[in-house]
Formats: sequence, C-alpha cells, structure tokens
Amino acid sequence: MKVLIVEDERSMAAEIEAFLTKAQYSCDLAFTAREGLEKIEDNAYNFILLDLGLPDKDGLMLLKEARKSCPDAACIILSARGQLEDRIKGLDLGADDYLPKPFSLLELQARMQAVLRRKFGMQDATIVIGDFKVDLQKRTVSCNDEADIALSKKEFDLLSYLLLHKNRPVTRMQLSEHIWGGFADDDYDSNYIDVHIKNIRKKLSARAPVDWLQTVRSVGYKVKI
Amino acid sequence: MKLFTKLTLFITLSKLAIVALFVWLLPFLVNRIAFQYNDYYLKMQKKKVLQVIGKSGIDAYLQGEPSYGSYTMLKEEYISLEPAGKIPVPDTITTQQRVVEGDTLTYRVLSYTFRDHQHSYMLEIGKTTASIGQYNQPLQRVALYVLIALIVSTIVLDFIYTRLLLRPLSAIIHKRLQQAKFPFKEIPPPLQTTTTDFRYLDDALTALMGQVREAFEKEREFTANASHELMTPIGILQHKMENLLIEELPEATEKRIMDMMKTLQRLKKIVHSLLLISRIENNQFPLSDSFAVSGLVTEVREELEHRLLEQQLSFRMQLPGKAVLTSLNHDLIFQLVYNLLNNAIRYNKPGGAIIVSETNLPGKPYQLHIRDTGIGIPKEALGSIFQRFKKVEKKENEGYGLGLSIAHTIAKYHDIEISVASTPGEGTVFTLTFPGEAQRLP
Repeated sequence: MKVLIVEDERSMAAEIEAFLTKAQYSCDLAFTAREGLEKIEDNAYNFILLDLGLPDKDGLMLLKEARKSCPDAACIILSARGQLEDRIKGLDLGADDYLPKPFSLLELQARMQAVLRRKFGMQDATIVIGDFKVDLQKRTVSCNDEADIALSKKEFDLLSYLLLHKNRPVTRMQLSEHIWGGFADDDYDSNYIDVHIKNIRKKLSARAPVDWLQTVRSVGYKVKI
Repeated sequence: MKLFTKLTLFITLSKLAIVALFVWLLPFLVNRIAFQYNDYYLKMQKKKVLQVIGKSGIDAYLQGEPSYGSYTMLKEEYISLEPAGKIPVPDTITTQQRVVEGDTLTYRVLSYTFRDHQHSYMLEIGKTTASIGQYNQPLQRVALYVLIALIVSTIVLDFIYTRLLLRPLSAIIHKRLQQAKFPFKEIPPPLQTTTTDFRYLDDALTALMGQVREAFEKEREFTANASHELMTPIGILQHKMENLLIEELPEATEKRIMDMMKTLQRLKKIVHSLLLISRIENNQFPLSDSFAVSGLVTEVREELEHRLLEQQLSFRMQLPGKAVLTSLNHDLIFQLVYNLLNNAIRYNKPGGAIIVSETNLPGKPYQLHIRDTGIGIPKEALGSIFQRFKKVEKKENEGYGLGLSIAHTIAKYHDIEISVASTPGEGTVFTLTFPGEAQRLP
C-alpha cells in the first residue's frame, strides 16, 4: 500500500510516516505542492494524505491535479484551517474524507481503512479473534457460527476500533474521540469508556473467553493477538 | 415619512396656500386696478376735451349757452362744463352721487377748474362706478381658472420631476441598505445618476461596505491562520506522544505520557473553544436553518446518553408544541443546547433529573427551559457564569470554564436571551428566550 504524505510541517510528516510504516504502509513524503505534483506524476499511489496549507500552492489545486494524473488514488484532506468551505470544496473536488487537525494517528488509520473498504472493497471485512468472528461490513459479532451477539452501536464501534489497532494500547481519550468525535467531553477520567468495555466483555464472555481484550494499566485497552 | 411624500405634501400645500391668498386678494386687486385705470381714463378724456377747447375755443361745446352737459345713452358717462364760482375748488377725482333725470347714480367724477378768456369754468367728467367694475366678475373667474390650471399643472410637473430626481435615492436605500447583507460579499454596480450628492452618497456607502468586507475578511483570515498556527504544533505533539505509546515502555513512563496527553487534550479543547467563539463573533456562521426543537433536543440527548446512564439521571422532554424555529444555525444551536445539557449533567446529583420544557404561546417569544436537580449555583456567582474562564467551584471532573461562555456567545449571535435561575442545593434552570414566536410543525 503506497501512501504519499503531502505536508509542509516536516516533523508532523515524519510522525505520520513513522506511524504508517509500522502499520505496513510504504510512505513517500512531499513538503511542497510542487514536490507533491512531481511525485504524483512519477508514482502510482494508493493513498494521498493532503495538507491544504502548503507554502507554494493551495492544496486544493494539488487535489485537482492528483485527480487527473492519479485517478485511482484515495485522498484524505488534513487541514488545520478548520473552515467549513474548505471541507465542502475538498469533498467536491473528489477527496474521500476530511480530517481536521489536530487528529489522532489512530483515527487517521481508521479513516484510511474505511476509505479503502468503501472505495475498493479491498480489506477483508471479517476479522477472526479467539473464537469470535467480527464482520465489519454487516457490523455483527458471532461465536462458533452461533447466533449474533447483540452489541450496541457504540460497543461495536469501540470493539472494531480496538481490533483495527490490535496489539497497540489505545487510550480512553483516543477511544472517546473516535466514538464521540468533536463532542468528546473534557472529563477523560470519567469511566464511561470502562462501562462500555465492561459490557462488551460481559456479552462476549458468555460465549467464549475474551482474554484477548486486555486492560493496559493507566493507559486504556489493547486487543492482543 | 419618506422624503418624496414630504416634498410632495409641501409642494401641494404651499401652492394651495398661495392660491388661497390670491383668491382672497383678487376682488380687491381687480377693483383697485379698475379704479386706477378708470381715473387714468378720466384724465385722458379731460385732456381730449382741453385739446378741443384749445383748438376750437370753448364755444365748440357751449355754442352760446352758459353751460354744457351730455350723457351717454345709459347714463354711464357724462360730461359737464359750467362756469365756476368765485371760490376756487381744487381739482379732484372723487366718488360722488349724482341725480340724473330722477335716478340717483354713483359716479366717479373728475372735477377740473380752468380759465378761458377771463372766465373760470369747471369741467366734470363722470363714469358710473357700476360700469367701472362691470368686468371684475368675469375677469376674476377667468383669472381663477387660469390659476387653477397653472397650479395643477405645476403640481403634476413637480410631482413627476421630484419622483425622477429622488429615484436614485430610493435605489441607494433599496440596493445598498435594505438588500445588502453583512458581510457584503456582493456589492451592486455603481448607481447611474447625474446628481452629485447622490453620487457622493452612493460612492461613500460602497466604499464603507468595501471596508467592512475587507475587515471581515481580514478577521476571518486571522482566525484561519491562528487556527492553523495553533493546531499544527498541538497535532505534532499529539502524534509524537501517540507514537511513543506504541513502543514497549515501563508503566511509569506510560503514565507520564498519558498525563501529557491529557494536558495536551485540554489545550486543544481551549484553543478549539476560543476559535469557535472568535468565529461566531466574526459572523462566520450563516443563519439560514429551520428545525424542530424536539428533534434537536433528541439529537443532543443521544449524544449525551452515555453520560446520563453513567450518572443514572432521568431525562424528561416536555415539548408538546411541535415548535419549529427558523433563521438559526443548526450546528451552533446544537452546541448551545449541548453545552447547557452537559452542564445540567455535570452539576447534577447521582439519580437526579433533567427536564427540558418550553413556553410556547401564540404571539409570544418562544422559550426553552433546561432544568436540573443539581447542586445549583450560589447567588454571588450567578452574575459571572457566562464570563470566560470563570468557575463556580473547583471540582474534580470539571471543564475549562468555556462551555457557558460559548453558550452565551451563540445566544448573543442569534439574539437569544439566556437567563439563569438557581437555588443552591436544589437545582438550576437555564431559559433561552428566542427572538420570535415559534412556528408549528405542519
């Protein structure tokens, strides 16, 4: 999976690159729109992560060019300008998603997965974990081909987010931001994430052990495979 | 009253006043002119008589008789020439009664004494006053008709011309003031007029609107830039910490990173809130949405469901009116209600209640009440709860003091009055009074 990161903040680009490389993406960096254009012309990317505030040209211009020379690439706009118009314009110009800065890297990966699934149907929509089978497309969890386990929408979202980031600790904050987005509250010490996790464990352990869903002390939770 | 109406009224009334004055003066004037002309006529007659006498001698009239007198057929005029007495009589033109063949008539009489061959004669030329004023009536009538015709036509002309003259002004009022909407994104083309005053007014207004728009754009750019400049470093820090957490670290280190992330999260929230307030204050949110109140409250409630559950709070929504509000920004009102409900949850007691109700009377502004059974707000703090970074009492699970400030900014932006009543220990009611009455869901 080839990703082009167009971002003028070098240290941010480097962090995104480090994170995505660990998640098995191969990354190219471009710090200006001109560099970005050159790279788009020379390489076939699956993904373009595009910052709008570039020093030499507006990112939206680059998006137009990318649509022409790299029509298959999925594109997510990363912007800190926070203008609603940018978002609408970007999506109009063919971007697949829009992520306002500052964003969580875990959220970025989740969005990328979602875009890939939506656009190319590439990802295997079923994840097998322990004795459980999670269907991300149908949003169901089943155990040993028995009837589906009824999880609430938020419980399923939490579970799939943890599964997506398997073998990594995910903080309560990251979970809360993913589920509640911009309306995530300031009270991160509060235990409503824990309440949801407790419910998930209760519902799943009725069928089979859930030792793969671990609590990481003082941080959050982790799915260990 | 509009300028055009005022001008038209003034023109009409002033002309009518002048006409009235003229009509009132007319008989007097006509009479006076007739008399003056008549006196002149008498003098001319006298001159003619004296010329005849000078040429042909006084006998041309007297023909041997001591005196001479002559009337016109209807006794309208007469002339008499008779010897004058010893006492000299001054020359006059007076109005006098004369008895002519039994009839008493009023004449305007010119008396003139002159000498001819050692004899004094008195010449009298008279004309009946009735015949002097005989044309007065028809003259007055004609003058009146002509005057009325003139007045009417000038009023019509004035009316048309004033209208034409003031047309650019109404165009300025309509296009520049009534139609133009802040922040004046589209400025209509300059006005076509030869009146320099209007040209100046139009140019000045256009320039002013341009300045306002420029200032608005600058503010907007500033917020966008500030947002970018603040959010980018926060993002970099966040990414660095997230990448750190992925590595296998001692638990103590992980905990410290978590603490750093929490602090960063707090910073992010504050910056977000301040930028939101600044964007609202720069009018960057269009007020063009309409929505049902109950729908909105339900949306907010769903968003907060987990927190209601966590605190075991009961939630009652008493909105039977199917009220629909218009000319609002949905996202902002959502945020407003969210912040108030969030507050109602945060400062509630476990097992408490939250009640959302309305006052929806026809002809009265719509009111939404958000009541909680929480810890309440002490009286001395009520005045300052909407100020930025003010807190009632430091509690562990507390926000950053911007929630109510945002609520206040949003309310102000929509002309919504936000008021609060509270009894410490019993609860708080926030009331939103919307600027107009609500419409009903069809």
